Formats: sequence, structure tokens, C-alpha cells
Amino acid sequence: MKALDLVSSPAAAYWKQLLSDRVNPKWREDIDNFETDIVLKKRGKIEDKLFAETRLRMGAYGQRYDNGHRHDGNESRTIPFPTDLNKGPETKWDAPGMERIKLPWGGMTAQQLEVIAELAEEYSDSILHVTTRQDIQLHYIHIENCPSMFRRLAAVGITTREACGNSVRNVTACPIAGVCRDEAFDITGYANAVFAYLLGHPDVQDFGRKFKIALSGCKHNPCGLTNIHDLGLIAAVRRQPDGSIKRGFEFYVGGGLGAVTYDAKLFTDFVAEDEVLALTQATCRVFARLGEKKKRHRARIKFLVADMGIDKFREAVLEERAKLPADPRWTDFLATLPKFDEKAARPAGKGIPKTNDAAFDFWCLTNVYPQKQDGFATVTVTLPMGDITSNQARGLASIARKYIQDTMRTTVEQNIVLRFVSESDLYDLYKDLATIDLHQAGAASIVDITACPGTDTCKLGVSSSRGLAAELRTRLATKFVQMDEAVRNLRIKVSGCFNSCGQQHIADIGFFGISRNVGGYIVPHFQMVLGGQFANNGGTYGLAVGGIASKAIPAAIDKLLDLYLTRKNKGETFRAWVERTGKAVIMQSLGDVTAVPAYDADKSFYTDWGSVREYNVKDKGIGECAGEVVSLTDFGLKAADREVFEAQLKFDTGDWQTGAALAYKAMVYAAQGLVKMYNIDVPDDPEKVMAEWKERFYDTQKFFDPFAGPRFAQFYIHAHEQRGAQLDKEKASRLLQEALLFIEAAHSCNLRLSMGIEKGKDGIAADIKAAGAKPAKA
Amino acid sequence: MAYAMDLQYLNWKVYLENPAEAEPHEWFKVLNGWIPDSPEVFVDVADYQHVQDGPVVILVGHYLNLSLDHTGRRLGLLYDYKHPMEGSNEEKLKSGLLGLLRAAKRLEDESGFGKKPKFKAGELRFIVNSRAVAPNSAETLDAVKPELAKVLARAFGEGAFAIEHIADPRQRFMVQVKATGNPSLADLIQRLA
Ligand code: HEM
Ligand code: SF4
Repeated sequence: MKALDLVSSPAAAYWKQLLSDRVNPKWREDIDNFETDIVLKKRGKIEDKLFAETRLRMGAYGQRYDNGHRHDGNESRTIPFPTDLNKGPETKWDAPGMERIKLPWGGMTAQQLEVIAELAEEYSDSILHVTTRQDIQLHYIHIENCPSMFRRLAAVGITTREACGNSVRNVTACPIAGVCRDEAFDITGYANAVFAYLLGHPDVQDFGRKFKIALSGCKHNPCGLTNIHDLGLIAAVRRQPDGSIKRGFEFYVGGGLGAVTYDAKLFTDFVAEDEVLALTQATCRVFARLGEKKKRHRARIKFLVADMGIDKFREAVLEERAKLPADPRWTDFLATLPKFDEKAARPAGKGIPKTNDAAFDFWCLTNVYPQKQDGFATVTVTLPMGDITSNQARGLASIARKYIQDTMRTTVEQNIVLRFVSESDLYDLYKDLATIDLHQAGAASIVDITACPGTDTCKLGVSSSRGLAAELRTRLATKFVQMDEAVRNLRIKVSGCFNSCGQQHIADIGFFGISRNVGGYIVPHFQMVLGGQFANNGGTYGLAVGGIASKAIPAAIDKLLDLYLTRKNKGETFRAWVERTGKAVIMQSLGDVTAVPAYDADKSFYTDWGSVREYNVKDKGIGECAGEVVSLTDFGLKAADREVFEAQLKFDTGDWQTGAALAYKAMVYAAQGLVKMYNIDVPDDPEKVMAEWKERFYDTQKFFDPFAGPRFAQFYIHAHEQRGAQLDKEKASRLLQEALLFIEAAHSCNLRLSMGIEKGKDGIAADIKAAGAKPAKA
Repeated sequence: MAYAMDLQYLNWKVYLENPAEAEPHEWFKVLNGWIPDSPEVFVDVADYQHVQDGPVVILVGHYLNLSLDHTGRRLGLLYDYKHPMEGSNEEKLKSGLLGLLRAAKRLEDESGFGKKPKFKAGELRFIVNSRAVAPNSAETLDAVKPELAKVLARAFGEGAFAIEHIADPRQRFMVQVKATGNPSLADLIQRLA
């Protein structure tokens, strides 16, 4: 039966007609324009690149499928697609994709949740996914359905504008703002003002890259995570000469996770509430004007701030601020702040109900937060991996209506909180949550694992972050209740690649996806990152300690936790223990559980979690790699891994100068290893290695990753130019991270080349042989 | 009062007779195997074993999804056609139901399961997955019933089934169909084809 066009379907026309009066006129115009763009795109009137940015700015992302191939366990075949639809990282614009729904400060009413549940059912797969930046995403959406979705969202006060793209992304904030016992004041209204002021603002339309803003009510608790943001505001108060209290913010810029982490820099320790929007606007203007536009990987504000130095950057922003024409909106919002004061639906309770239900008591321990308002609590509804079904979401909306007044929020740990629950209602609420299977204990604990989408749906994924998270969650849940508290309260976060969407750097135990060559096969791995800090607004980043095969990670975690429990001093935190023990000892102790068995001995290691296909080159349509021949390149890369590990150890002891020198040396080993594919006689002299590597890998772009491009290559070039220079701790730490990434990229380059090139019996690729290489004598 | 309704976005579900024996990881593997050589354009398999009252494993396609589905807290196979179709309502209803039954039969015949799935062909759920096309109301029931009954009569036999409207206003338009006899998938496919 023939399928008709979605965009002009009667259902789409129905929503357009029904809702056009209920949508804010500006938003309606955005949606109408987008609808027209889709029609024009279908007629081939808009080029791909332009349409991509248009759709991203409306929150519509492309999704990953497997390169027009799908492996069924036996062989990989091409999938016939209508028109020229394709799959894999280069999916065409009209293949089913992902829609990000922006929820400023995570705020969500019961009605909004119900509408999103309906959209998930009708246009997606009945799953609502809460993200690490308080958004909700729907997957497998047909782009032609987006205008209807947008209209239905807009009718309940939600816009998806600037949910993706080079723009101001969702403004995030502590989910317990307004009820927190430690906050300076409730930042909700301010977060909303920042969102509303910047949405569609002309000064934020010309960024080279995205811009992420977060607000936090206090400095010492984790909730706002200002340290990892482009712009972070922490509530602060000042006593005025007349004795009155003035509200304002500590103003931070240039933090960020991603491949190389940056701590946010203090711009000023107090910007008054009536000045905060103006200063934010001036910051955006400077970023738009001076920020990198061409090299995407250098285009975040963190690079601009680092390159200029905070003092020069501040100067530029203040100069810009002085020139800004005054805008009444800078202060108008102050009068609307009381609108954000929340009220309870039910009378205050008198303590948590006493029951004989041990599961309830345990849930109270982990999922209930007593508010500063006496008799009320905030309840965390834990969502496994951020997922909730449409029926569950409707159930949750009903529960919210029964107990609270629309005071729900999403969290960056991919959960939903219900605020202003009367303590007397807690047991009834718990039982109601049980009817929709959302009464699991363990919020913010070791079982409440955060995971980015990874290879499930993200085009950049390397390993299956959700697969690993699901596996760990299932295993750890069985022992959760008996666990020692020191272990129970650790956090695990997983990203599918170095981009850190899963925020692994601020977890006690974090992972990000990498791949490694084992005996000629590609084996899914994760780098383990230990000792990050969620507290203090994401105050301290963890450091990568080594790669572990995906399938070895559950055993490695068991062992790691066991080591910590048996060897820690009384009261010693996980981070302190990691620092005292040292990464070398930790990795060594894990040695027996992290070894990868040979392919013939145990094939399971060669398939990722949550996948049916062997994670090797077969999936890309090419046979086995060099097999038993261990190349000089592999030896070079191994030496690089060893050296960079030594560098980390030096760094840990405080000797970052030596650490930086070793990190550079490790990069040289990696580059030299690659060069040995072509010239096994390349000398050890760093100048010569650079010259040969540049000629063979940089100028030919062989080193360039399809997504990262020259980014990692430039880390090595930069380190080469800077070698021997005195570096402060922060710069040395960055060099170390860059060395790790360069070496990972060298591993990938080696894999790519070994995949894409036919090898002869001697294990040497044809084009390499043509270049005059000799077989490795290793 | 009945009115003309262009039925679109039709979903059909058939329940498992042996739900306790369903192993989601086996379904995941089997459905992955369907991608390369199915005439439908399937693109991915999504794994949602960790949630309740919704999909468990979904074979996602460009035009239609097939899933091991736990929505309504009963496991079954869900057939979800996502694009508008041409044709009369009767043709669309029949085509969706046949699509479901054939997929169910294919699953019953699959060798990749430890314990093979077995479907209860005598009980079906029918859903219109669009609140725009079909509000969940008595009017919709009046509008849909005649053609739905025609297709069901062809499958189960005249008068050999009952249709129950699930009138929950928050849910999509949906009905439960129960046959009085105990037909097999093969019988139904043969009668409808
Ligand atoms: C197609 C999927 C995605 C792509 C291509 C993508 C890309 C990226 C890239 C390149 C970065 C690094 C940015 C930089 O350092 O300049 C990043 C960071 C990040 N992304 Fe994503 N991302 C995707 C999906 C997601 C999703 C689904 C989430 C939410 C669950 C997310 C949340 C984040 C967060 C929290 C960060 C790190 C925080 C920061 O920006 O400093 N991303 N993403
Ligand atoms: S961390 Fe990597 S794999 Fe995960 S969502 Fe971000 S870009 Fe994708």
C-alpha cells in the first residue's frame, strides 16, 4: 500500500488549525517557517548544510544507524531505503531522528508531561528520555511530524527553539532551587529570565558553537554544576551600606567538559541581580565577535577565555557592556520573580510516616529530601537511564496532581523530582509510585547511573554507554541494599565517546568509549576516569586511568569497590583513596580481571553490551585485520600508552613539569609508531618524527577522524611547539589530557588504516607496501 | 452520529500465550536479524527492557515499527504503521491486521528463541495512533465500527467476535477484540489474504 506525505497529512492540518490561536505568535512564526523549510528541502531548494543548522536550532538531530549496513550476526548487508535515505553517521536529513525538547531549569507541569507522553506515543516510540541537561528527548521521529509536535508543545508553553545548534542551549538550574536548605535564594526566576531574554535574541544567533548556561543556588552543593558550563551563575548576597541585602551572582565563564576539560574562571564575585542579564548579554556579544568560527573544535568560549586570559576577556566584556544600549527587560523580570514562588497543594506534614515497610524506609533514605519548608519534602523519582514510558508518564502526571501543584522538575542525573510533597503523604505517594513501577530507591547512588545515548542513537558514539550502564545497574542493584554506605553513595557516569555528554569527569567512577585493537580485532573499550567530584558544582574533574574492555568492566568495578572497601582508611573518601593509592597500583590490582581473552577463547569480548554484532571490522564490510602479526605500530602505541600513564603518575605526585614532559614524549612514541607503517627506520629524534608524521599523516589527512578532523593532530603539533616551556598546573593538566586524546586518535587511525586497506600475507597493507615498507621483525 | 473518517496510523496488537517465557534479549537478537532482508524498511532495534508498561524491544522501521510490547501490562506483538496510507478504511484495516499476523507467524516460526513465542490469535487490540484522526470518543467508535466489524468478520467469522471500546479519555482510541472461538494465526491469515 502506498504511503502518503506526512507533512501535508490531514492530522498535521488538524493540529495547525486547532492550535494556531493557542501559540505565542513569535513561536508560531518559527514553526511555520520551519514547516516551509521542510517543504522546500523536500523540493531540493535548500542545501543540506543550511537545513541542518535550521533543524538543529529547532532541536531536531540526526540519529545514528549502521552505515547503510546492519549486521545480523552472520554478515552485513545493505539496507534498501526509499529515495536516497541512508544510515550511519551520514544519515540523510529525512531518516528518522531525535527531537530534543527544551525544559528551562527542568521545570515541567503535569499537563506538559502529559503532552510529551502523547507526542512520544504518536510520533516516537512511547519513550521519554530525560537528558543530562534537564531536557526530554524523543527518538525515531520523522522530521515531517516536527511542526505538529512543535505546535502541540507550544500550546502548553514549550519551545524547542535553540535546543541544539550553535546557540544558547537549555538554561539549567538546581532541581531543588526554592526548597534547598543551603541556597542563598531561589534562582528559578532568574534562570527563567536568562532563558527568556536570550531565546532568539539577535546577539546569540552568530556563535561558532553552542553556549551552555547553568545557575546554582549555592557554591558547595553539586546541583547547578556551574564549573562545567560556558557561563555559570552562583547565587550570592551582599549587605548594602544601609543594611539591606542585595541579591546577585558569582559570575563564572569558560568551564566545560567535552574532550578536554576546563574549569570555569571567576569573572566577578558579585554581579547584582539588576545587572546580570546585561553582563550575560555582553558576554554573549564578545563570544559571538571574538570566538572561533571556522575550527569547530576550538569554537567554545572556554578556548577563547583560555587564549585571552580571564583578565583580558573581562576587559573586553566590560567594554562591550559599557556600549550596550539599555534594555528595560534587564530589570523588568525582577517584578515577576514572585510568580516563581511555589505553593504546596496539601498541608504541611509532621515528619515521615512510621510504617513497617522496610523498602519504604530505605526509599526515604535515598530518595526523599527534607525541604527548608517545614513539613515538606522533595521526592526523587528515579528513572532507569532517564527513560520513562508514555503510560508511566501519564501515571506520574496524575500522581503529581494528587499531591503537589505542578512543581515537578527534571534533573541532570536523568530523574524527575516532585517538590512540596507533604511529609504525611510520603507513604501514600510511595505506594502510588509503586503502581507505575517508579518507586525504586537509590537516587544519586551507585545504581543511579547516568549515561549518554552512545552508540544506541548518537552518531559520534564509539561504545555502548547505555548498554554498559544497563548491565552495571542490573548487577549492582542485586547487592545494593547490603552495600557499605561508602560504596553505595558513589556515582557512576558513562559516555559513549570523549565528548562527555554523560559527564563522566564529575563522577567518582566514570567511563568514556574508546576502541582498541586486540590481536587484530577491534574490541570495544572504555577509558576509566576516577575521582571526579559532583559536589562543589562539579568542582574537580577525574582523570583517565586506563582503558578497560567493555565486557570486563562489571568485574573490574566489583574488584575496584572491593579494593576501596578493604584498603581505605576510616572515613577516607573514594577520591582521597584513589589519590593515595595511585593509578598505577589500582590498574595493576585490576589486572587479572581486565585481560581480554583471545578471540578464539571467548568471542563475547568482541561484541559490545546491548549489541548482537561483533564489534569488529566486519560490520564495515571488511574481513579480519592483520591477525597474529604484531606490527611495529602496535608496539609504538603500546609504548605511548605506557609513557602517558607514567606522566599521569608524575602528575599525581605534584610533579607536573615532568608529567608534561612525559606526556609529550608519549605523543612522540605514538606518532613514531604510526610512521613505522611506512618507514621502520624513522629515528627517535622528535624533530624527525614530527616531520615524517606531518608529511605522511597530517598533510595527507590520514590522521584526521571523520568527525574530529585535525583536532587531535593539532594537540601534538601544539605540544611539539611548546615542548620544554614551563607550564603551570592547569596547562600541564591540559597537555596531559590532550596527550591521552592524541594517543587514542593514533589508535583509531591505526584501526582505520588497517580496516580500509587490503593486506597481503605479510600483514602489510598494499598502499603501505607501495610506500616501501618492510615487514615488522617484531 | 457516524461520520466519514479517514483512518490512519493504525496499530494492532496480538498477545503472547506464554509471556513468562519471553526473553527480551532473544527478541532483540531475532529482530536484528530481520533488518537485512525484510521487505519493510527497518533501520534499528531499540532495547527498553528497563522500563515498564511500554515497549520492551522495538524493531524500528521507516514506515512501521514492530515491537515486543508491554503497554497495558500485557506482553504481545505490536504492529504500528507510522505513515498515512492510501485506500479505503477497510483496506487499511485489513492490511495492518495482516501485517501483524504475518509478523506474529514469522516469529512463531523463528529458530532463534529458546522457548518459541506462541500468540493468542483470538484476542486483539486495535488502536488509532493519532488523537487528531480519532479522538477516543463514542463518535469515533460509531465511525470506525462498521468497517472494523467487516474486517473482523472476515477474519473470525460473522458474529464470532466482540468489540469492546476502552473509553479512557487520556488514551488513544482503542478497542479490544475477542473472538468466541479459538482460531490460529494461520487460519486468520488465510481468511484475510
Ligand atoms: C547526536 C548526538 C550528539 C552529538 C553529536 C553531541 C555532540 C557533543 C559534542 C561534540 C560535545 C563536546 C562539546 C565541546 O567540547 O565543544 C558534547 C558535549 C555534551 N553534550 Fe552532546 N552530543 C550529542 C548528544 C547529546 C545528548 C543526547 C546529550 C544529553 C543527554 C548531550 C549532552 C551533552 C553534555 C552534557 C555535554 C558536555 C557538557 C559541555 O558541553 O561542557 N549530548 N556533545
Ligand atoms: S558522549 Fe559521545 S556518544 Fe555520548 S552522546 Fe555525546 S557525542 Fe554521543
